[in-house]
Amino acid sequence: MEFAELIKTTKVDNVVFSHPGLEPVAGTLCITSHHLLLSGSREQNQIELWLLIRNVDAIEKRLANSSCSLTLKCKDLKVLHLEIPGMEECLNVASSIEALSSVESVMMMYPFFYRPQSMRLAGGGRQPHALEKYYQQVASRTGAWRLSVVNEDFQACPSYPALVVVPSSVDDAALRKSARFRQGGRFPVLSYYHKKNGTVMLRSSQPLVGPHRKRCPEDEGLLAAALDGRSRGFVLDTRSAQAAKQAKMMGGGTEHRSAYAGWKRMHRALDRGRPLQESFVKVVETCNDPSLTMDRWLSKLEASKWLTHVKESLGTACLAAQCMEREEACVLVHGAEGMDTTLLVTALAQVILDPCRRTMAGFQELLEQEWIQAGHPFHLRCARSAYSHARLKQESPVFLLFLDCVWQLGRQFPLSLEFNEAFLLALFEHSYASPYGTFLCNNEKERKLCNVEGKTHSLWPWIHSERQKFLNPLFAPNPLVIWPSVEPQSIFLWQGLFLRWVRSSHYIDEAWTEIQKIARNHKAHLEHQSGAASTQTEAQTLSKVETNAHL
Amino acid sequence: MESSSIKKPLKDGPNWEHNEEVPRLPGETRVTDKEVIYMCPFNGPVKGRVYITNYRLYLRSVESDTVVILDVPLGAISRIEKMGGASSRGENSYGLDITCKDMRNLRFALKQEGHSRRDIFELLTKYAFPQSHNLPFFAFLNEEKFPENGWLVYNPMVEYRRQGLPNDQWRVTFLNEHHALCDTYPSLLVVPYNTTDDDLKKVSAFRSRGRIPVLSWIHPENQAVITRCSQPLVGMSGKRNKDDEKYLEVIRDTNGQLSKLTIYDARPNVNAVANKATGGGYESEDAYPNAELLFLDIHNIHVMRESLKKLKDIVYPHVEESHWLSSLESTHWLEHIKLVLTGAIQIADKVSSGKSSVLVHCSDGWDRTAQLTSLSMLMLDSYYRTILGFEVLVQKEWISFGHKFSSRIGHGDKNHADADRSPIFLQFIDCVWQMSKQFPTAFEFNEQFLITILDHLYSCRFGTFLYNCDSVREKEKLSEKTLSLWSLINSTKAKYVNPFYTKELNRALYPVASMRHLELWVNYYIRWNPRIRQQQPNPVEQRYLELLALRDDYMRRLEELQITNNPRLSNSSSSSSSSSQMMSHVQTHF
Repeated sequence: MEFAELIKTTKVDNVVFSHPGLEPVAGTLCITSHHLLLSGSREQNQIELWLLIRNVDAIEKRLANSSCSLTLKCKDLKVLHLEIPGMEECLNVASSIEALSSVESVMMMYPFFYRPQSMRLAGGGRQPHALEKYYQQVASRTGAWRLSVVNEDFQACPSYPALVVVPSSVDDAALRKSARFRQGGRFPVLSYYHKKNGTVMLRSSQPLVGPHRKRCPEDEGLLAAALDGRSRGFVLDTRSAQAAKQAKMMGGGTEHRSAYAGWKRMHRALDRGRPLQESFVKVVETCNDPSLTMDRWLSKLEASKWLTHVKESLGTACLAAQCMEREEACVLVHGAEGMDTTLLVTALAQVILDPCRRTMAGFQELLEQEWIQAGHPFHLRCARSAYSHARLKQESPVFLLFLDCVWQLGRQFPLSLEFNEAFLLALFEHSYASPYGTFLCNNEKERKLCNVEGKTHSLWPWIHSERQKFLNPLFAPNPLVIWPSVEPQSIFLWQGLFLRWVRSSHYIDEAWTEIQKIARNHKAHLEHQSGAASTQTEAQTLSKVETNAHL
Repeated sequence: MESSSIKKPLKDGPNWEHNEEVPRLPGETRVTDKEVIYMCPFNGPVKGRVYITNYRLYLRSVESDTVVILDVPLGAISRIEKMGGASSRGENSYGLDITCKDMRNLRFALKQEGHSRRDIFELLTKYAFPQSHNLPFFAFLNEEKFPENGWLVYNPMVEYRRQGLPNDQWRVTFLNEHHALCDTYPSLLVVPYNTTDDDLKKVSAFRSRGRIPVLSWIHPENQAVITRCSQPLVGMSGKRNKDDEKYLEVIRDTNGQLSKLTIYDARPNVNAVANKATGGGYESEDAYPNAELLFLDIHNIHVMRESLKKLKDIVYPHVEESHWLSSLESTHWLEHIKLVLTGAIQIADKVSSGKSSVLVHCSDGWDRTAQLTSLSMLMLDSYYRTILGFEVLVQKEWISFGHKFSSRIGHGDKNHADADRSPIFLQFIDCVWQMSKQFPTAFEFNEQFLITILDHLYSCRFGTFLYNCDSVREKEKLSEKTLSLWSLINSTKAKYVNPFYTKELNRALYPVASMRHLELWVNYYIRWNPRIRQQQPNPVEQRYLELLALRDDYMRRLEELQITNNPRLSNSSSSSSSSSQMMSHVQTHF
């Protein structure tokens, strides 16, 4: 396939473009294989707008007389208006964008073509896995866990990475058997080791119990080994008891108490898949509808159920965290496939429990480990965003829901996260459309096939180069567990995301820039001053940490 | 004023009980105390001892694992009821039910035998409702001393001079000095230069309760003004009054523009029409051809009272879980906030456009009118966004112009169901909070400042909000016999400063009044619920303050270093200039 075949027109003059916050500007539109470039000038100011075509979620045409207007609705929720002279030109532009934005092949996507001068491809030099690094930390504290290469060829589980952490006492043959007893081969693996008391969180997919109550001794042995002598563990099923029961008829199911001694089951129903996508569509629709006046805004917002999803997700993550922190028990989290709500819960629980996961570097490792390598199918889930008219396939904003939950944590604990809202927004944008390869494909196996590591740039070096922009200037490391309040009154709409293109955040941004400046000055001063006095002041400042809410 | 808090036991637990006295203000005297069980809606029954003084109700738990403390000014109590009878069955079913004005209720259970609650009920009722028992407000007994005198904050003459008044179009009149013209207006009024005192008297006959149009604020550049009044006495027959018509014409003329005078009637159109039946009404087009009348659709005090009541129902003691947003919507509280803000924005926009002056009224001109004039002034004039300026604004537009605080709040009055009660001032403070959310750098004061004002709106510790109008306040010698709330606030100002504040002159603020940008003020309305996260003081503010303090500290040290390192600079004048240079480097500009 050649991109040129898809581009019906490469350049149109006298296009008027605008978006909320940008007054209409007349200029030229160019279409390249991956970008729309709009350039124009107003009052001697050159205005240039680059739009990644992959970012276009829906395109709406309005024809009137000789001119025609296009509305481009983007995956990052931005809405762009173009007025194009000439009907034919306009239809050409529209169909080019449509064709280019729906190219399915991963290898044709922009990250494979993005070659900035300032960056060099990783090439052969393989970066150490986030998981390997994490395993080193665990291994330094306990010998109960080992790094297994059972999945080196992605045979045992196609959606797992090559390396997994499992109980030391379980050998690879048993792992393979356990994999066969779990949907998609996702056998229980270590997700998190709680340093404070040595409890662990595991994740997997549902066991293939089926209507005849099948059992698998190796799987049972694996979970028994995970308890490592402790008497109690909780299986946190992210489906309702009803749904879990129904899954049995389809060959799935959940762990039977009699088969898994010491493990107790809990159910917390979390929506995913289509209901979640529909909720996302509705909340965005509600936020963008200017006709919604006072009497219907709140009920519409409630009807979208987005905030309910946020609340339920946080609540479930708290429950998992509570099991470990307060009950001193191990936890196994799974739903059905174990790659959506399961990851949402395990990742969130870690942010709540572990201060290391709240730093920039720690959070990045968490994303690598619990989302990207853990096989959250980004390619399928983030193919379309909230505007698309295309028939939904597997789209679902689980990752966005996770980011929203983290934002809520940041709102309730404004000093405890090292990163800020802009960072979460950037992650949201890049998970849907990005020049970087980080969120490409559905799992490690696919990424290896496409050689994503060798042929695309990673998002992280860029994040690092823009680090200042993404830091929370008020960050003060908080060694405590941050228990969020999950009352509905404590859960807020993420205005920075959903109203980003509707409201002007000018004054709030100004305030943050100023705080950033002051904080940076403070740091510079500290660095200049050596001596006991200054370190003491800092220690004092840092010792004030946020307190816990009542759960 | 943190009144209910659950604290971890102190380390020196055993001694604690002996060491800590019940907090008492100078002038506060002990009335009684009693063993009770506090039926805490969040933590279940708590055994404790309740202490009643002439100012507060104070409860301390006696069990030692967690210490529960309850500290409620008696002024915050709106209703005390007996619950259960001597023969009631069931645990803790006999006792007292107390309804408060600040969004909470308290319930105490007592021992059933021996009429144990009779004394405490009677004493509590007596001191909580002093006005119904011929007792003075605590404000008259309060013997606190403050370095600042809050009564000096507002001097109308100084405030009008700040606005550049009098000038060639507007003059100051003392016509109302003895409140003869209008008993609910202050003694000093600003009126058009070309209108004589006799004319004013004639106009007052045509305005409800004599509340004639007078100036509230003048735009420093375009001379457009905000004036306020009550409704004209048009009645069913459609009466007219030549003096009133002429008077509005004069007001229209003062800013030298040819456009019409814009009259904002705060009421919904239908209500304005209905008011004709009781002798009121609005300015008709025939009688006032040079005026444009607009209705702002804000509902009356009864609607607001019911709305707040519904809000309380869904937030206390237990917050509505399952349909939180739609039940919040059904209270219409935010909707009313939106309408008030929208009205104020229209007024501010009209005045700053310079095309026309505005006149604002509702029925009596002391509720909705006060909300609208004060909010639009807050949007237009950055002075009112400072701590001092805001105090002036409240003193001027609310207190001196006769918002009926006594009737609306019911200070010391046992009549809890009085139809005059309404949370109009609370609604105004809520609007201010909404603005401060949208413009985090524009206000010198923080959330704590607003909450403190609301707490003392009820507490009766200060004279500031007592009585309905200046004429009564003068008669009661309020400023001699009581303290002002501003004395407390201005003496401990640091607590109320918004660290993000940056002084910026003459910028008009237009908040977005769209529903999706309004939030429920959780830190106020749901502050008693320990399950809702709220950190006081706000950690972000706290951290920022620390950083600012550190910065100042470094600057000081740097200065010292410069002095010691460079002997030539050690004389004071040059060292201060060098430090100010450095300062400008790190100075905040936003």
